[in-house]
Order: sequence, then structure tokens, then C-alpha cells
Amino acid sequence: MKKITFLLAFFSAFFANSQEKKGAFYGGFESNSQWYLNDTGLNIQQPNNPIRSNSYLFLNYNYDKWSAGVQAEGYESDALLNYNPKLKGTNLATYFVQFKTKKIEITAGYFYEQFGSGMLLRGWEDRPLGINNSLRGGRVVYKPTNSITLKGLYGQQRTGFDVSKGSVYGFDSEFILTDALKFTESEISLGLTYVGRDEKMEIVNQNFPDLTNAFAARVNFSHQSFYLNSEFNYKSDDAIIVINQPDNNFVKPGNALLVNFGFSKKGMGFDANVRRMENMSFYSERKPELYSQNGGSSSFNYNDKIMNYVPALTKQHHYNLANIYVFQAQSRVDFPDPNILKSGEIGGQFDFFYNFEKGTKLGGKYGTKIAVNMASWNNLSGKYNFYPGDYKTDFFGFGEKYFSDYNIEITKKITNKWSGNFVYINQYYNKKFLEGGEIVKTNIVGADATYKFNTSKSVRLQAEHMWADADKKNWASATAEFNLNSKFSMFVMDMYNYGNSDPEKRHHYYNIGGSFRKNSTRIALNYGRQRGGLVCVGGVCRFVPESTGLSLSLNTTF
Amino acid sequence: MKKYIFLALLCVNFAFSQKELPNISLKDINNESFNLKEAFLEKDKLYIFSFWASWCAPCINELDELNDLQDEWKKTVNFEIIAVSTDDSRTQKRVKPLVNGKGWLYKVLLDVNQDFKRALSIVNIPYTIVVKNGTIVHIQNGYVPGIENELLAKLKSL
Repeated sequence: MKKITFLLAFFSAFFANSQEKKGAFYGGFESNSQWYLNDTGLNIQQPNNPIRSNSYLFLNYNYDKWSAGVQAEGYESDALLNYNPKLKGTNLATYFVQFKTKKIEITAGYFYEQFGSGMLLRGWEDRPLGINNSLRGGRVVYKPTNSITLKGLYGQQRTGFDVSKGSVYGFDSEFILTDALKFTESEISLGLTYVGRDEKMEIVNQNFPDLTNAFAARVNFSHQSFYLNSEFNYKSDDAIIVINQPDNNFVKPGNALLVNFGFSKKGMGFDANVRRMENMSFYSERKPELYSQNGGSSSFNYNDKIMNYVPALTKQHHYNLANIYVFQAQSRVDFPDPNILKSGEIGGQFDFFYNFEKGTKLGGKYGTKIAVNMASWNNLSGKYNFYPGDYKTDFFGFGEKYFSDYNIEITKKITNKWSGNFVYINQYYNKKFLEGGEIVKTNIVGADATYKFNTSKSVRLQAEHMWADADKKNWASATAEFNLNSKFSMFVMDMYNYGNSDPEKRHHYYNIGGSFRKNSTRIALNYGRQRGGLVCVGGVCRFVPESTGLSLSLNTTF
Repeated sequence: MKKYIFLALLCVNFAFSQKELPNISLKDINNESFNLKEAFLEKDKLYIFSFWASWCAPCINELDELNDLQDEWKKTVNFEIIAVSTDDSRTQKRVKPLVNGKGWLYKVLLDVNQDFKRALSIVNIPYTIVVKNGTIVHIQNGYVPGIENELLAKLKSL
């Protein structure tokens, strides 16, 4: 706390001084608090310290070529349920100083960096997931011309309020070749990346080097309305993690290939995204930290010390029931039992967007927008051996299917006051391979209608149903949202697992809440039940237990 | 509790300052780079930066609505809408076909690793800022249908 007070005082003084000189100050505060309650209906007991909150204060000052910032975080009296247990107490979390001109940018302290797609390196912050894997060290970005960007960095990764043991080195370059090749209607750029992770291991007769080298090359090309991007990543020999330990006799390289292409013009868009990856988990410390004696809870569960970003390439749905069976990308080699042998994933996602113009037959008076999305993902096929662990994959081979999602969404303004959205989703979720359990096939329909009164008063009604043939079976859900004016909104919603085979588990997950917004401030109060399972943001997920309680969120900027 | 009061007081201390845009460069969907501090400086013109993502339904509703209204509004106010996509590499590839599929006529900037969003401490999207002569003059947090009437009234008063 002392450190924070000192820094705030420093900032205060800095800021007071700067007013005449016209610097820019940005700050933000966010706090999410929860009061966990006993719930006999769900048979859950409140945890120790039932009142908990996660708070974040971010201050950033920019004057001419200089910027500096700090972030303090508080987890009192404990972090919200199922956040990384290393997030405890209140402390200074990140800080940085940066100098930036047109050609050069130098940062010391904590920074967030992403190379290419992030498959080898991405530092980012996601508060709802409890992820902040920024690097602490130094970074230089140099842009000698408009078409060349070079980046070099060194750092250690943030974990809890500390940094991890491994050292991370990185170099990235990007060259825009459009002018050099005298292209007028086309654009082309190339990028090359190196990432090194050095962690001293103490293994007798170690079969893999402490330093893992990873390389990537990428190309982006576009010609009028057509575009094509591709990236290839390679990670050198490293030990596979078996039962939470690096296995000295199971050493493999990893690789990933991403190809994306599409075509789009006004009123129409098509996009295809395919990816194959094998053994691409990459952490700044190889061995996970164990938080429970049986190893059931480890730092891997909280995405702690993760260096790369491996999102599931599937559509992120905004309907409640479509977020029960969510795919998580499979980058790890994982052999949980002799029948489940995974080394990565192969698959793709296709999107098609179309706008039926106003005044056409299908467009009607206000136009109609449709979006079709299809994604399918499989394990890599090949020869696998459970013990001693080994595999040899086929390059273009589809193994056991993990997941598929085929969906269509139609958005239409019907009259000046009514607008609606309809969705149909068909999913296949191989719970056996992904989490352990049964294979689930679902069909989901959802509809959403908004009625706008004259001013900014409106009501939104949403109804959904999911037919599922296994696991928790059928669900129904409804939401009503009232926007009283531009500042106040209220909602009630319920998700009802009425089809559960066990009558004792046919629970309602109801929530009621309201929010107030003014300028940059938002306050929201919510009471209800949290469905247990995966909570996913941006294709990265975290398990949360079932809970019941009252939550208060506050965020503001200044 | 004490420390929260302390923090709140500090916030008040910092409040009400006029803010410039941060010194950040972003690329648009055509791979052209824009420095936020330098590219949006036409005198007295209002720049509306709307933060959105391809998976955010209210964001898309707002941008659909503004797309229909902007020609009408431009008769009375000199402004430009810039849609700032906060999509990360999971969904970023869907942005360009989505924008074109929807027929949006905005400049679309890609805030791929959320540097712009983080610099302004934005927690929830949709989030809209209005910038005049390089300074943030209005913030609208969230979107409800019909709020565009208030936004237009605000634009006229700025």
C-alpha cells in the first residue's frame, strides 16, 4: 500500500505541474464485488470471506514524447471465486515509462506486446478472466521508414504480483512491400518473428535445451476486394508436460500454420480461416504451479504464465444458451487416458455476410442482414503411443472430431420501432475429449426483439431454447431488458435446465439487475445465480463454480 | 475501506481535465496507419470514435443505426464516425468482411492488442468518445436504442 500511496502522490504532483504545459492524463477505476450467499436450492455454501472484490486503478500520463503509467490492484478480502489464488491483497501491479517519437519508441517496465497473430507471443490483460501476462523488462520499437517496423524486447512475465522465473526474448519485423514493388491496386507485407524462452531446469541428463527458440513468418496480401494472410510458426524441441511435470523422455517440437482469405465488397463479405497446430502450448515457466495437493488445480487452469494467444476460431455468440458448450482451442499435447490422445487441432471457420438492400424484395423497407458461420475442429490424426508417450502426426489428417458449430443469424429492422434478430445454431461438442464426459449434440434457436418508444426508452425481449441429447440435456432461457432512458437499464433473465435427467438438478439460474451509466461511469447491481462451467472471453476460458449472490460493479474513467 | 476513500479523493483530484487523444498509431482495415494525435485534427470537425467488436450485439446495433442516420446528420453537423474494432486475433479476421457485408461507410481502425482501449481505461463496450480539435469533449458509455437522438443534440451543442 505504501508504494501505491507514494506513486499516487508522485502522479498527483506531476499532474498538477503539467496542467499549464498541457499534458494528457488518463485514469480508470474498476471494481467488481460479490457477496456470496448460501443457496439450499443449488446446495451450495458460501465460501470463507463471502464478501470479495477485485479492484483495479490505472493511471497514465502523457506529456509530449513521454508517457508513464501505473496500475494498482486489490483483491480484498480475497479474489472473486476461482481467480488465480496468487492474486491476493492490494499492491502495485504494473508500471511503465515510455519515450516515443515518430521513429522510435522505448518502453521500460511492464508492457503488452503481440507479434503477428499472437501464436508465439502475446501479452494482454483480461480482467474478467484474471489474465495479465504483460512482460516486465524493456522494449524498443524502431520505424526507420513508413514501411519498416522492427521490435526487440526482453522481459519476465507477470504472475500474481510478481514475475515468473523464465526469461523471454523477442524480435519482430514487418516490411510493407507495396511501394517497393510499385503495386497500385495490391498491398503486400511480410513479417518475421523470433521468440526465445530461457528457463534453467535441473534435470539429470536433460534431453532438451533450457532455451526454447521459436520462429514465425507471415505474409499479408490484398488485391482490391480480395485478401490473403498466412502465418507459419515453429517452436524448437521442448519437454511435454505429463502429469504436471516436464517429461525428459517425451521431447517434441511444435508448429502451427494459419491461413486466412476472403473477399468483401459493399453489402457482401466472405472469410475463411483455417489453422493446423501441433504442440503449441508455450509458458514462461514449463512446470505448472500446483494449488491443490492432488494437482487438480494448477496455474495452467488460470492461464497463468501463458506466453501465446491461442484463441478458438469459432463465433462468439451473444445468446446465453449458445455459451454453454464453448470450444477451447487445443494447443497442448495431452494424454489424459489411453483412449484420449491429443496433440493439437486442425480445422477451420467460414463466414459469410450479406446485406439485402433497402427496397429489394428480401430487404424490405429497412434492409435485412444475414450472417452465416461454420466452424469445425478435429484432433490431428497419426500414430499415438500412451506409454512411453510418443506420437507422429499426419500433416493433413483429421482425427477425432472435437467440435463443430454451424449457425445463421438474421438481423432485421421491421418498422421504425421494431427490430429483431433470429439465430439458429447447431453444435457438436466432444465433451469426452475436451473436458471428460459425454459427446453432446445441440440445436439452439433464439430470437430477440427490440421495441423502441419515442425517446431513448426501449424494451428488449429475448427467448432461447436448446435441445441437447446428452450431458445436462435441454435448456430454455428468457431475458427481458428495459432501457428506461439513456442512463438507467434493468433486466431479468432466467436459464432453466428443465430437461436434466436428474430431477434434483433441474435448476433455474435466474438473475435480476440494473445499471446506471453517465458519461464514462457505469454502476451495475445484480442478484442471482451463476451457472457453473466455462466463462469465456475472446476464446479463452476459465472454469467458475456455481454461486449465488449479490454483485456490484463500478467502473469509471477520469 | 479507508484506501477506497483515499482513491476516490484522488480520482476527484484528477477529474475534469481536458484530454487529448493518446499518442498511438493504429492501422485501418486497408492496412493504412493513422496516428491518433495527428490524423484527426481538422479544425472544429467532430470525430466520433465508437469502440466496438464483431461479437458485441449492442455495438453493432449502434453502428447499424448510425450508418443509416449519418447522411441526414451531415446536413447540419460537420462530423466523421470512426469505428474502432477491439477485436483481437480471434475475431479480427471477421472484421473486414463484416464491415463490408453490413455496408458500413466508416473508417475502421483495428485496435488489435487493445492499446487504445487500455489507454482510455475502457472497461465495457460499446463506448463512444467525441473529439474536437484533438481533445475529448464528450463520452457516451453504452448504447440503448434511441440514444442517438441525444448524441445528435450533443453534437449540435459542441
